[in-house]
Amino acid sequence: MTNRLSSEYSLCKKPLAAPSQRWVAYLLCVGLVACSTDTPDHSAKFFDQSYPAQPGGTLISAMPSDPSSMIGMVAGESASLAIGSYLFNSLLKYDQNLDLAGELAESWQVADDKKTITFKLKPDLQWADGKPLTSADILFTWQLITDENTHSPYASDYQLVTKAEAPDARTFIVHYSQPFAPALESWASLQVLPKHKLAGQDIRTTSFAQKPLGSHYYQLKEWRHGEYIKLEKNPKSVLGPANIDHLIERIIPDPAAQFLELMADNIDSMSMDPITYARIIPSRPALQARLNQFKELGNSYTYLGFNLKRKPFDDLRVRKAINYAIDKQEIIDGVYLGLGITIASPYKPGTRWSNPDLIPYTFDPAKAKQFLAEAGFEDTNGDGVVDRDGKKLSFEILTNLGNKQREKTAVIIQRRLKEVGIETHIRTLEWASLLTNFIKPGDFDAVVMGWGLGLDPDQYNIWHSSQQKPGQFNFIGYNNPAVDKLLEQGRLEFDPEKRMQIYHEFAKVLYEDSPLVYLSAGYGLTAIHKRVQGIMNPVPPAGVSYDSQKWYIPQPLRRTQIQAE
Amino acid sequence: MRRILQNPLALTGLCLIGVILLLALLAPWIAPYDPDAIDVKHILLAPSGQHWMGTDGLGRDVWSRMLFGGRVSLLVGLVAVGISTVIGVILGALAGYYRGWVDTVIMRLVDIMLSIPSFFLILAVIAFLSPSITNVMIVIGLTSWMSVTRLVRAEFLSLTQREFVMASTALGAQDWRIIFKHCLPNSMTPVLVSVVLGIASAVLLESGLSFLGLGVQPPQASWGNILTDGKEYIQFAWWLSLYPGLAILITVLGYNLLGEGLRDVFDPRSNTR
Repeated sequence: MTNRLSSEYSLCKKPLAAPSQRWVAYLLCVGLVACSTDTPDHSAKFFDQSYPAQPGGTLISAMPSDPSSMIGMVAGESASLAIGSYLFNSLLKYDQNLDLAGELAESWQVADDKKTITFKLKPDLQWADGKPLTSADILFTWQLITDENTHSPYASDYQLVTKAEAPDARTFIVHYSQPFAPALESWASLQVLPKHKLAGQDIRTTSFAQKPLGSHYYQLKEWRHGEYIKLEKNPKSVLGPANIDHLIERIIPDPAAQFLELMADNIDSMSMDPITYARIIPSRPALQARLNQFKELGNSYTYLGFNLKRKPFDDLRVRKAINYAIDKQEIIDGVYLGLGITIASPYKPGTRWSNPDLIPYTFDPAKAKQFLAEAGFEDTNGDGVVDRDGKKLSFEILTNLGNKQREKTAVIIQRRLKEVGIETHIRTLEWASLLTNFIKPGDFDAVVMGWGLGLDPDQYNIWHSSQQKPGQFNFIGYNNPAVDKLLEQGRLEFDPEKRMQIYHEFAKVLYEDSPLVYLSAGYGLTAIHKRVQGIMNPVPPAGVSYDSQKWYIPQPLRRTQIQAE
Repeated sequence: MRRILQNPLALTGLCLIGVILLLALLAPWIAPYDPDAIDVKHILLAPSGQHWMGTDGLGRDVWSRMLFGGRVSLLVGLVAVGISTVIGVILGALAGYYRGWVDTVIMRLVDIMLSIPSFFLILAVIAFLSPSITNVMIVIGLTSWMSVTRLVRAEFLSLTQREFVMASTALGAQDWRIIFKHCLPNSMTPVLVSVVLGIASAVLLESGLSFLGLGVQPPQASWGNILTDGKEYIQFAWWLSLYPGLAILITVLGYNLLGEGLRDVFDPRSNTR
């Protein structure tokens, strides 16, 4: 697959560069060679020169999996949504400081009773094929997503709309039966689809999923399944044209293979794991010199979650004991090589929603033992494991197979819990099997997993007691009327200050209740070749890829140009 | 025995296996560190006087883990082959002695088992059960008895035609007496060779399963899962992949050499005699 691509687009400077480096990699595998594999390149200075913005060029990135469809709102996969974000617009977007701004919408108004939102579209919007983009398209997309037959995983937020209407081509109005604060975020994530292409078609089988038509900066040019997706600049983009002509997303599932391609200069950007960032790249100065590396705190966290419906996890003292027995900093240092931070609330630290008064549970084995003793757990038979009523405190930790970071996390947790007399077994399961056979039926003791969060603070689906049916997100079985009430209030409140108070209180209750152990929030690490210029520095809160349409690749630094030299 | 020691292949194999077995047996006494002791302040250290084989991604001493991992790998090899040999010998003896429909049924069963790619069968079974050392040993044992069955059956087919067996049949000896007293001891030579070679492939299978995460579960070490952990760091921490790889290589080589040597020693047509 890689060979075909390189020959077709002449990506390699020297045709032999990639195979020869691959050989070196094989030699490394058997441990015979341990030298740097970088071929001498243009000196770092060559890529350090900066140029004015100019259109043209091709940016090649790697993504780990092939989307099944280009309609992300229906497929519900991150790969589809990621490609979709180049093709389709939303009504609203987040600006660089994560405040809401208009994208297709010129303005929007929340009515006084907070139950109606009126969007006014920008004038003269059009699809890539020249047909006008109107409020009818938005109404159509809403109808499509909320249609029972579509089975969209994102339907629930949009189903709260009791009535949507498009009185004229530039006005779109939605009515809710009660105020719903996350609504604005939901309209910032709805990718608007063209009615004239999709009306009357079966959304599950339509060819549009393979040949989409959008209105955003890029449109699909070529898609070779399992190999690459090639996007081409959309000259009619509603937000004005992007700089870079072509984007190629190569599908390379294995991070190690991605890295080899980055080293061979066959891709321009990839996201890295902590080992690549902290150890491998620094050991290759020639490679490091031609890369810009970005480190930003991700909007996600890893946790040890308990099945609260099972004994002894229904006992707060046991949960607290486990929380105190785990050294989170040790996990961050050992597993993430220091590239993470401890957290005390389910929000990204430093954002408005994260409660600054909460301090992460410390590592305190003495306190852990004390809590265990209070809960009635003592080591009565001297086997090193505490017991209560003749039953020893022993449970199984599940995590997904192949996620080395989580596996290592589980091993560290196991070791620390053993020290306070808690016996654990680790079981790694393939992701799909973990979800269908254990998480959905609620058949587990504890899990090491992660939550990726949206930008809106609403976490109703994770924590509300009504969200415990099989397949829903509150699979740990958390049931707290105080939290339920706060989550409901948070959805009704539009004022950011008041919402902040609500979610700070929510985080505080969770903190006291310790339904799961927050392990860490990790950094997102991205490497981008220095030939790509115009990247916002320092990285804005919205992330490194914010405003990527303004990136450009100066003529002298483009691949074809290098080849011609 | 003297002939075995004179055979260079067998002798080399014996020495290799001897050293590895000794190290594995003495692991609790010679390992300098607790194999599961995590030390995140000293992760991925290169081999040195302090850590002979360096440390892994969680700061655990690789040399200590290799020693304890060796116990797992060798135990799995021995027990799995023990199981397969017992099954193989019994079924082979029944088929070879009774012939007729017993033979047909058993040999068709062998054919069926041989037609299934055993590694994938093992993968499927382990995925269905939960991965653990016990399951790995049992499953490997239950899927690798076929060659022993065939060997024993072939030996029995010829042995039952020999005069001393016919004589005991004529004297009215019971079936079990003929099978266990007369035929089995005389058919053990090829079985011994196949047992030794079988251990080698069982060690490899266990490493393969652990490498895929379906064998020995963390934190317990086995050569296979030390190797997997090393895969992540192979770009700069070669010691995590080299040493377990070498250990597997040496062990498998040792058993194969010993097996080949034994075959040479026992085979009357062998030219090395």
